[in-house]
Parts: sequence; C-alpha cells; structure tokens
Amino acid sequence: MRMKLCDSLNENVKKLKQTLCSEDITFLPFNVGQLDAVLIFVNDLIDKDSVGELILRPAKKIDGYPNQDKIFNAFLSPEKKCVYTFDETVAEVLLGNAVIMCDKNAFSLSFGLKFFEKRAITEPPTSTVIKGPREGFVESLPVNISMMRRKLKSPDLIFENVTVGKYSSTPVALCYIKGIADEKLVKKLKKRIKEIEIDAVLDSSYLSKFLGEHRFSIFKQIGNTEKPDILAGKILEGRIAVFVDGSPIALTVPYLLIEDFQSASDYYNSSYSATIARYIRIFSVALALFLPAIFVAAELFHLQLIPLSFLLTIVNSIKGIPLSPSYEMFFTLLIFEILNEASVRMPKYVGMVVSIVGGLVLGETAVNAGIISAPTLMIIALSGICLYTVPELEQTFSILRLFFLIVAGSGGIYSLIISISILFIYLISFENYSTPLCAPFAPLIPSDMKDAVYKGFIDELDMRPSSIKSKNKRRIKIKGNS
Amino acid sequence: MQQYQLKSRQICFFLIAFLPINKLFIMPSVIANVANEDMWISALITLLVDFITLLFIIKAARNAKTDFFGLLENSFGKTGAKIILALYFIYFSLKTIIPLNEQKDYVELTLYTLKPSIFYFLPFFLVPLYLCTKKIRILGRAADVLWTITLNGFITLIVLSIGNADFNAILPIGARGASAILKGSYLSVGWFGDAVYIMFLTGEFLCRKKDCVKICLSYALGAVMVIIFMIVFYSVFTSISFRQRFALTEISKYTTVINNLGRFDYIGIIMILFSGLISLSLPMYFGARIINYIFQIKKVWIAPIISVGIQIIIMLTFYQFLSSIESFIMNYMGIFFIVFANILPCFTILLNKKELSYEKG
Repeated sequence: MRMKLCDSLNENVKKLKQTLCSEDITFLPFNVGQLDAVLIFVNDLIDKDSVGELILRPAKKIDGYPNQDKIFNAFLSPEKKCVYTFDETVAEVLLGNAVIMCDKNAFSLSFGLKFFEKRAITEPPTSTVIKGPREGFVESLPVNISMMRRKLKSPDLIFENVTVGKYSSTPVALCYIKGIADEKLVKKLKKRIKEIEIDAVLDSSYLSKFLGEHRFSIFKQIGNTEKPDILAGKILEGRIAVFVDGSPIALTVPYLLIEDFQSASDYYNSSYSATIARYIRIFSVALALFLPAIFVAAELFHLQLIPLSFLLTIVNSIKGIPLSPSYEMFFTLLIFEILNEASVRMPKYVGMVVSIVGGLVLGETAVNAGIISAPTLMIIALSGICLYTVPELEQTFSILRLFFLIVAGSGGIYSLIISISILFIYLISFENYSTPLCAPFAPLIPSDMKDAVYKGFIDELDMRPSSIKSKNKRRIKIKGNS
Repeated sequence: MQQYQLKSRQICFFLIAFLPINKLFIMPSVIANVANEDMWISALITLLVDFITLLFIIKAARNAKTDFFGLLENSFGKTGAKIILALYFIYFSLKTIIPLNEQKDYVELTLYTLKPSIFYFLPFFLVPLYLCTKKIRILGRAADVLWTITLNGFITLIVLSIGNADFNAILPIGARGASAILKGSYLSVGWFGDAVYIMFLTGEFLCRKKDCVKICLSYALGAVMVIIFMIVFYSVFTSISFRQRFALTEISKYTTVINNLGRFDYIGIIMILFSGLISLSLPMYFGARIINYIFQIKKVWIAPIISVGIQIIIMLTFYQFLSSIESFIMNYMGIFFIVFANILPCFTILLNKKELSYEKG
C-alpha cells in the first residue's frame, strides 16, 4: 500500500484504523493549536511519560493553525521524522514509535519514544572468559548498536538498516567499517537480505540460513558471536556484521573455519599459552571426531595397530560383551547424545540429576552388567568432552563423528581414510562469498598463519588477514618501523 | 590479463606431496628383483629423465599465454588437439592401472589381513569421482595441505626404520652392472612420469625465473625422498628386499614389532596413504579434463563418471588377471610410457604460446 496520506484527518484515521485494528493500538485525539490531531501508538511499547512531556505538553502551547514546519519544530524530541504514506505510518506505529496526524496536513510525524523491558547486559554463556571483557549482546538492537559504538568510536563505523519479515517487520542492521570492508560484499549482502521473503525473523539464525550459499552443507557458512569485543575484532579484520532485533547473536560474513578454533581469550592471554590452547583445541577435535571410529576399526579389522599389552586389556574388558564393537560404540554414542540433548533441554536442577544418572548409574551399571566395555565408555566420554573445546562446531562434528563411526565399523581404516579424503576435498573447495572456508591453510596464505597455526605477538599482527578481502590492509603501525 | 588458477608455490607443493607417494608401495621390490643393491640408481636414472622432461615443460610454461589445451589448439587446430588428447587419455588410463592395482593389493593384503576383499578397496573410486568434479585450483589447495602430511609420514617411516638399516648393503655402487640398472629403470617407468601432470597444468600458473628454480628444487626434494626410501629399504632388507612386496608397510616393521609398540608406524603409513588417495586420482582427474575438452560436456558429473568408470570396469572385469596385466605393462609397454611421459612433453616447448580464447571444457 504505497498510498499517500491526504489532508483530511478523519479520512486518514479511518483508513489507518482499518489496518491497525488491534485493541492494543491507541488512537488518542488531542489538539495541536486549533487543529484536530490524533496520537497513535502501541500501548505497551511506548514511554508514556515522554509522550506527555514531549508531545502533549508542547502541543498545548501552539496557537492558531500551524503549518508542517511549525508542527515539526514545535516538538523537541531528538528522534522524529515526517512520513507521507500510509504504509510508512503503519510501520512507524508498529515499530513502537508514537505518531501524530493533524487535520489539514498530509503527513504524519513519528517520534522515537520506544520503551520496553530489556534484559540486562550479562556475560554470554557460550563464550565465557577468565580475562577480558564480559559483556555480551542482548536482544535489543539499539543496545547492541550502542555497544558497538562504544567499542569503535569512528565515523567509519557504518550501520545500514533493513527490515525483514512480512509479519515481524524485524529491524536488521548491517555493520561494517567503511574503508576496510569490501564494498561489493556489503552490497551483495544487503541485496541478499532484502530479497528474503519470510513471515518472521525471530532470531539471527533464521537469516544465517538464507545468507549461506550452500543449501545442504552441514558446515557453518556464517560466523556468529555474542560478544562486542569479538565482533569489533572481526569487523576490524574486514568482516561485515548483521544484527537482528530480538537476537543476542550477531552474524559475521565471510566466515573461515579457523575462526571457531580461535577464542576471545587467545587475544587477552600470552601468545604462548594462546598457541598451546589452539593446538589443544585442534587435537581435541581430531580426538573427538576420529577416536571412536579408529578404535572400532582397530578392534574389528586392524588388531595389529594396537600394542600387545593394550590389546590384552581390551580383550579382557570385551570378554562376554554381547554386542559387536561397532554396535557397542554406536549405541553408547547414541546414549551419550540422548543424555546430552536431555541435559540441555531440562531445567538446571533436573539437569544435575541427568548428569548423575547418566554418568554414574547408567555408565557404571552398564559396564558392571557386561553390556558395554569400560574402554568404549571411556572413549565416548573422552570424545564427548573433547568436542566441547570448540562448542561452535559441536553440532556439525557430532554428525560427522557418527558418520565416521559407521564408516569405520563397516569398512575399517581404509574406508575411514576415504571418507576423510572426500570431506577434505569438500572442505578445500568450499567457498562462501568467494572466501575459501579453509583459508589460510587451503589455499595457503603464509601471512595469515601468525593468527592460525600459532598466535603471534600483537605487533606481528600488523596486517589484516589476506583471507578476507579488504582495501586497507595495515592495522598496526609502529613508529620507527616502515 | 591471464588469470592463473594456481600459484607456483602450489606447483612446488604438488611435486613434494604427490611425486614420491606411488613409488613407495610396490615399486621398490620390483626394482630390487632386478637391480638389487643398485635399485636406487635405477630409480635415480628414471627420475633424472623425468626431471629433464620437467625442464622442457617449465621452459614452455614460462611463456604460455593459455593453458595446455589452448596451446595444443594453437599449434594443431581443434581436431589435432583432440587426437593428441585422446592418446593422452589412453596413456592416463594405462598409467592408472599399475598404481591402482598395487594399492588394491596393498589394502587387501596389508590392511585387511583377516578378511581380504576387493569390496574394501572399491569405495576408493569415490575419491577420484568427487575430485574430478572440482576445478583445477582444488589440486593446488590440496597440495598446500598434503605436502606436510606426505613429508611427515615419510619422515616418521624413515626415522623408525633407519635404526635397522645396514648401509654397507648398498655397496659397492654399480656392482650389478649397467644392464641390470637400466632394466630396473625400464621396468619401473610406469610409476614415474610426473612431469606430464605439470605439462597439463601449463598456463595455469605464473612461471617466472625464480619460480622455475623453486619448482626444480621441489622436484629434487621429491626425488631425494624416493631415493632415500630406496636406500633405506634395501639397507634394511638387503638381499631379501625383492620379497618385501609392500615396501611401505615392511620398511619400519622391525622397530615397532620388536619394541612391542603395536604398529606405531601405521601413523606414517596412513599419512602417506591419505596423500596417496589424491595422488592416485590424478591420472583420472586429467583424464576427465580431457574428456570434457573433447566432448565439451556441460554436466559436471559425466566426464568423471567416464574416466573413473573405465578404471572400475577394468578392475572388476579383469580382476583375476590384474597381475598379468600389470606384468605386461611393465615388460612391454615401457616404450609407450617413455614416449608419452618423456619424449612428447619435451615438444611442448615448440607449441604456439599466443593467447587463445576457446571454450573451456
């Protein structure tokens, strides 16, 4: 409905009431000088004190029949704008703004007087740190934007707004640094977001599904973070962030696989410990993914891989186990996944019970009863813990772990190597927004290795990563050095 | 301006990652049967011949304004190019048979000693099938990662086996005489011919003077790895080397078995096997590219299916006779391999290198 407002208040209000017929929307008649006027707002989204102070009180002080300029200047609200069409007026009301319509004037005046309860800024549970900032994003877009502004006080920090969702009209903001981010990518991303036709965007994860270029990929294609310091770091590297109102998780584009092996604390701790921590994460993920599969393959097909003394231990422990090694591992893994799923969904105090029941009762009793062997239980437990060293990839790797286990149980180590090879080819050929997922390893970008294979000292990270397209490459300039 | 899909660095890594791999499985025992302690000289001769071919190819690559298919088209016209490439398709198909068969045997008889079956090997074909659908830059990316894996696997095996090596066993050098050494070279020629891959990558990478030097050094590193393996292998097993059919598995077994570590060396073997899957897929990859060029197929999967399908059919149809076929290729097709792997590539230098816009397959 791109219909323009007319200068008859009654007609405008009548038409608006047809669209905004919900009972929580108030149409409050009042006067602006000698003119009849109506104030329209959504009851629970508005700061009523400010309405009185900034709209109703100044309206009383106006004399005669004011024109558009006089009306506009009479109100002192810092956030106001004139709109001239019905759909814009409706959108402004639904966004939680207060809108004034006056008789004999073919425009409406919108005031940003939104007020609603917000969650306090807290440390996000998904990325806690021992050292470093603890604040995390919240569900309110303006609060999130303000947090970014506080981090990066630069005129080059740009926010571009888009609205997505037929029914939700969710405000979405693109955030990037002009002069660093690739402009083509900004345009492409904005176009993609605008093209999304969806009923509602209830969380940023809705958008990430649309922004990915590979529909069936189980791998993440869009990065995300809940922390302003991490996001500031990412956009300073040339990435573009996408905020969605109602979501505490900001999306980042382009995404590299190595990002999830880098932790916020890497940048607040010494380079040595950060490097070691990174290796531990990579090793843990490898252990989590392949240990159950290799163990089953070794037990079934390649006993020569296992040292003799360890082999004897295994033989003793699997004596009398009714299931074959692959079924035993598969079902134990399945039970682990069930416990994992249950403990996430359950209330905290019940979750504790699940941990005790799962860990002690189920595990120990199953071993004592001779249903599963102790090494199998130990391997699943180790694999389960290891996977959480990179929590962002937990879901993807859980699926892969199960897949590798099935492959190794069916075809042994050679089938496992084949499936890893195919995954390897897939990963190295995977690109999203023309950025290779496995950069800086494949393709090899030596200059980016100082924040990948190891965590270099801060002065070593003088250039932005070449894996991400950026016009302005230098980020640190030390006096005296060229 | 010409867009290169590969970096010269990736060509260097390509040579390190893939050149030594297929020469570590069965080839050492084959040469040992003929040349004994001089087996490494046989390998060295073949490597030198291959290296000379590489020099011609990189000389040609320096001025190439188009890729190899374009170069052929420039010089021989479309039909001529297609005929030459069809012959090369046959060459690649035959070149695949020996390493494919040896890897099948290796997998069946070494990894699945309890229940050997061809069905454990058949899933391998998924790797070339998938790789063939990818663009050429994926080879570069694979090399970027796999060279470290190959190198680490190789170092693990050599470190584990060198303690059992008696290097006096390879002395005196040249004791077996020129005919045995040359026969060893001739028999093993099917395992070599890696320069041909670089010929097919001509025009896909920038080849300045310093890049040429790096490529040559990388080839030399790959060659040195093969020679070291040969020397250590013979030094460990001496006169019974020819009986150790699967050199890769045998070379380090004494250390690990005697020390009761389990086959710890399998970590190195698996690393090499991992790189080996891509290395073994290369002839099928280039075969698929040739099919794409000749028939201008638009669908991505057709050429890979043909190229890989031929190998599957050969393997399944002639399953009982694969050893005979392998023996036939080694004994009677050496000349064919030399022509296509060493002689014809040298003529690349004479090809017309002007820029050509043609429809890429």
